[in-house]
Amino acid sequence: MTTLGRLRTFSYWYEVGLLGLFVALMVVISQVEPAFASRQVQAELSTHVFELAILALPMTFIMITGGIDLSVGSTMALSAVVLGLIFERGAPPSVAALLAVLAGAMAGALNGVFVAHVHVHPLIVTLATLSAYRGIAEGVSLGRPISGFPEQFTSLGTGTVAGVPLPGIIFALAALGSGVMLMWSAFGRRLYAIGFNENACRFSGISVDRIKLMLYTLSGTAAGLAAVIFAARRNTAKADVGLDMELNVITAVVLGGTSVFGGRGTLVGTLLGVALIHETSEFVSWRWHSDESILLAIGVLLVVSVLLNGLLLKRRQ
Amino acid sequence: MISQEAARTGGTDRPFKAALTRLAQRREYGVGFLLAATLIAVSWKNPAFASAANLSDLLVQCAPAVIVGCGLTFVIVTGEIDISVGSLLGLLAAVMGLACSPQRANWPVVPTVLATLLAGTASGFLTGALVTFGRAPSIIITLGMLTALRGLTELLMGGEWITDLPAGLRTLGTGSLLGIPISVLVAAVVVVGSALLAGRTALGLQIYAVGSNPEAARLAGLSIRRLRLFAFTLTGLLTAVAALVSVPQLSVIESGVGKGFELLVVTCVVVGGTSIRGGSGGILGTVLAVLLLGIVRTVLVFLKLGEMATYWERAIQGGFVLAAVLADHLARRSSAARAAGGQT
Repeated sequence: MTTLGRLRTFSYWYEVGLLGLFVALMVVISQVEPAFASRQVQAELSTHVFELAILALPMTFIMITGGIDLSVGSTMALSAVVLGLIFERGAPPSVAALLAVLAGAMAGALNGVFVAHVHVHPLIVTLATLSAYRGIAEGVSLGRPISGFPEQFTSLGTGTVAGVPLPGIIFALAALGSGVMLMWSAFGRRLYAIGFNENACRFSGISVDRIKLMLYTLSGTAAGLAAVIFAARRNTAKADVGLDMELNVITAVVLGGTSVFGGRGTLVGTLLGVALIHETSEFVSWRWHSDESILLAIGVLLVVSVLLNGLLLKRRQ
Repeated sequence: MISQEAARTGGTDRPFKAALTRLAQRREYGVGFLLAATLIAVSWKNPAFASAANLSDLLVQCAPAVIVGCGLTFVIVTGEIDISVGSLLGLLAAVMGLACSPQRANWPVVPTVLATLLAGTASGFLTGALVTFGRAPSIIITLGMLTALRGLTELLMGGEWITDLPAGLRTLGTGSLLGIPISVLVAAVVVVGSALLAGRTALGLQIYAVGSNPEAARLAGLSIRRLRLFAFTLTGLLTAVAALVSVPQLSVIESGVGKGFELLVVTCVVVGGTSIRGGSGGILGTVLAVLLLGIVRTVLVFLKLGEMATYWERAIQGGFVLAAVLADHLARRSSAARAAGGQT
């Protein structure tokens, strides 16, 4: 194969482009705000990103199959409230954390049952549970924050091992596992196949329903885990945990090049998308101290990236 | 068997279409029945509920969701979705407040009304154009709009409140004509207009055609993009109408107006029987569903849950959607089983 041919068949141009964009953004930022780009500040700010990053992994899986999960933020709230209330009843934090993750898994499984077995569009199911889970979390906790977790628990969010934050290690393990599953296992191939042509998959004997149920359960579990990490990091559990989280996660995945119609997407792209979202929103909040501008920026970023995505898809066809 | 059903529904010479219509109407019957049952049960338990003043309050509360729901029904019938209407309502509230408050731009009522209508229509058009010409899924585009418009609203308001709306504008929200609140009258006009558009015009038929089979509609020479763009623009316009009759009722305009409104409206359209896959559904179902959910809210208040009512309201809304889709699933399965049984 000639060099030119190899360049043409190289399938990661989009990721390379994203990396270029990320590097360019960092160069501009370090010129404008040298203090923001310093290693210390970046290391400090990086602790904010892991909940988003953990949620982006199963969301990539789901969107590759052509689905979507809008309920991740609300599931986080539900898990956080479960964590807080059980801890308040006197259970050890480890038990409370375990039950919180379990609650997230169950919430995800309910989404999965509706998507896979009732055959409702995931958009409607998760839009319904987006409001239902948040409502339950608020109703059960009466909107009251619960804090006072022991240090043994909060170290899960703030502790470091060899200089790396503990949530970072959890995320790295999850990302590694997800990457291996997506790229080197039959399961991963099936996800792409479902996204390309679900009917063909059914006819060729792939248990599409079981895979979907698994994916949404996985997404709920990740939300439970993210809620535990968030509660440990902030030392508080409240029903407003994870507000607007679904937006950030979906923006990161779409920006990372995963097609919303399914069948296309990589984890590397998603991670770059997460990094871009993280740096953009932290920079906006650092420079302008305004959360409103972050909302505006992320919303515009989502619209632009999905338009770009559509353009790219048209090119390839 | 189909011809028997056709005979019962009026004996048209298109039995298949008659059967389909009957099926589509079934959800409206269900929601209507549930609505009537709730009404009777609540007013039996608490006669104060059925008072004219209380029912009028209920209708006033439901008016914005009815008005926007009509537009959104068309969007969902074309096979798309718009979840940005809540943020648009917030933005339009800010526009109205900033335009006519004596402390701010101090415009007279008519230019304020026109500016609001224009802003709503323009935003709906922009959303529609992004979806149709950007070849992007509407859920993602409108999720982006939901966030971007809310951010824009917060920037415009700058964390401040507007409390001094002029009396002329207040009348739009609180006034009444012949004893009927203006917002209810406007909602009624919108409902009748939308129902006529859906059932009695070529445009309405085309919208249903695009939703039920886009490829066939395209081959029949319809412009799918233009019809979808129309539905989105109409929703933007109707959101502005809803803002005009509901925002002046508020004592305070802040940047959080309309939060969660999009979920309420989508819930009502889906519960009202409009299929998310497009092509079927109707205005009547949406209106009945808005009233049903409005009554549920009032019931929660009557149960004296206090502040908890607003918390549980969201959970109940979500539960309603899940119940509606579950009912759909069971109905479809049993009718499929019956069809299979009839063939053997």
